[in-house]
Amino acid sequence: MTVSGPENAAPILTIRNLKKSFGENTVLTGFNLTVNKGENVVVLGRSGTGKSVLIKCIVRLIDPDDGEINVLGKEILKLDPEPLDVMRARIGFLFQSSALYDSMTVEENLEFPLRRHLRKHIKYDVEKLVKDALESVRLDGTQKMSPAELSGGMRKRIGIARTLILNPEVMLYDEPTTGLDPITAREINHLMLEVQEKFKTTSIIISHDMNCVRMTANRVVVLIEGKCYAEGSYDDLKKSQDKHVKQFFD
Amino acid sequence: MALSNSINRSVKEFFLEAGALSRFAGRFLKTGFKPPYEFQEMMRQCYEIGYRSIPLVSFTAFIMGLVITIQSHPALEVFGAESWLPSIVSVSLVREITPVITALICAGKVGSSIGAEIGSMKVTEQIDAMEVSGTNPFKYLVATRVLATTLMLPLLVVFGDGIALYAGYLGVNIRGVTSAHLYWTQVFNKLTFGDVLPSVIKSVFFGFVIGIVGSFKGYTTTSGTEGVGRAANASVVISSFIVFIVDLLAAQISDLMNIL
Repeated sequence: MTVSGPENAAPILTIRNLKKSFGENTVLTGFNLTVNKGENVVVLGRSGTGKSVLIKCIVRLIDPDDGEINVLGKEILKLDPEPLDVMRARIGFLFQSSALYDSMTVEENLEFPLRRHLRKHIKYDVEKLVKDALESVRLDGTQKMSPAELSGGMRKRIGIARTLILNPEVMLYDEPTTGLDPITAREINHLMLEVQEKFKTTSIIISHDMNCVRMTANRVVVLIEGKCYAEGSYDDLKKSQDKHVKQFFD
Repeated sequence: MALSNSINRSVKEFFLEAGALSRFAGRFLKTGFKPPYEFQEMMRQCYEIGYRSIPLVSFTAFIMGLVITIQSHPALEVFGAESWLPSIVSVSLVREITPVITALICAGKVGSSIGAEIGSMKVTEQIDAMEVSGTNPFKYLVATRVLATTLMLPLLVVFGDGIALYAGYLGVNIRGVTSAHLYWTQVFNKLTFGDVLPSVIKSVFFGFVIGIVGSFKGYTTTSGTEGVGRAANASVVISSFIVFIVDLLAAQISDLMNIL
């Protein structure tokens, strides 16, 4: 499977001058990014450079100190709690640890966001929606299993299925291949591309796994010192002679 | 100098923690009763916290009832007041011993469980996952548990009262023979509404304290799995401590209101 990116598509997500500090530790120092519809953008950076903070700001898990974030035409930082919850349903988030609810079965994990957002509808075939979401990550049949019975790769897949069940328009992946063996990591990379193609999602992928970057990125953004240091296609950046960029590809 | 700094730091931390806990409780009072209601989750918590605590509460109340009766017997025997045993034991059990012992047992069982469960959800990003899925984790995790402990503890105390009084009947009969009719007549002749009501009211506060402290420690957990252990431990210690303070205040208030 190859990465198929859009050309000249409309921006879906715009970040302007994003700043965030934790006490004395400044993480983001004026980060700017525009992501177009249907694009897979990989944010590449060393550990502790604020990659996860960046995508957590997009869904307001962390409030930035300054800046603007526009997602799907809405200024995220200005939204009240209720419209924010509606907007969050349009943004899928895969956590680094998958963050499956331990006390629930796989089925209940998938139903959890669904029931909250479809509660006003009169009839919905929740069982079928769960089955479809699990089929899309090739894990149909695991409905009754508990997260503790799943492998790391399966947990990631279920995590993706849980976000897909609400048909998000934007997907945010926080280090999706961390802690996985190379074969499972490759499967997750393929799955992210399938999601992009099948669900027409726009994605931001946080990673420092170069195989993941190579396989999934339409565009790569290098985050250094809290700013977008360089950006371009994987091949362009690979040829870069800049020592900071080069260190990721060597 | 080092000792003085250490004391200053501890005092400062104590007040910061107390302030944070008060704000957390305020947040519960402000948002916990507003829709949408997580009724299903609250019922599940009532089952976990209430029904599942019955065996432990029963066992403890039974032992306490039996021990208090057996221990009181010789003291009353000296004054030839053995016939007062059912009355004295029932009043001390209902007013003080069962509510406090039940609260302490629940602080250990329920408080630590709430602290550990919410704490582990916090460190494994499950609370964040809930938030990004458009669910208010405070309402789903905290409000349901605090309401469940607040509602269930008085019921457990009333249930424990029954068990402890029955154990008292067995205790009275270890050294003598008292008919069930005579025992229960003496118990209910002495027990008044003014004995039961303050006990139930303070149990409501005990339940609230256990729920809010466990949730607070879990919700503010940091430092990974080590933090989860600390949260569970602190939930028990702090809620037990506050239970005693509430008990003291309840005794003073009851006294002032002339309920006693």
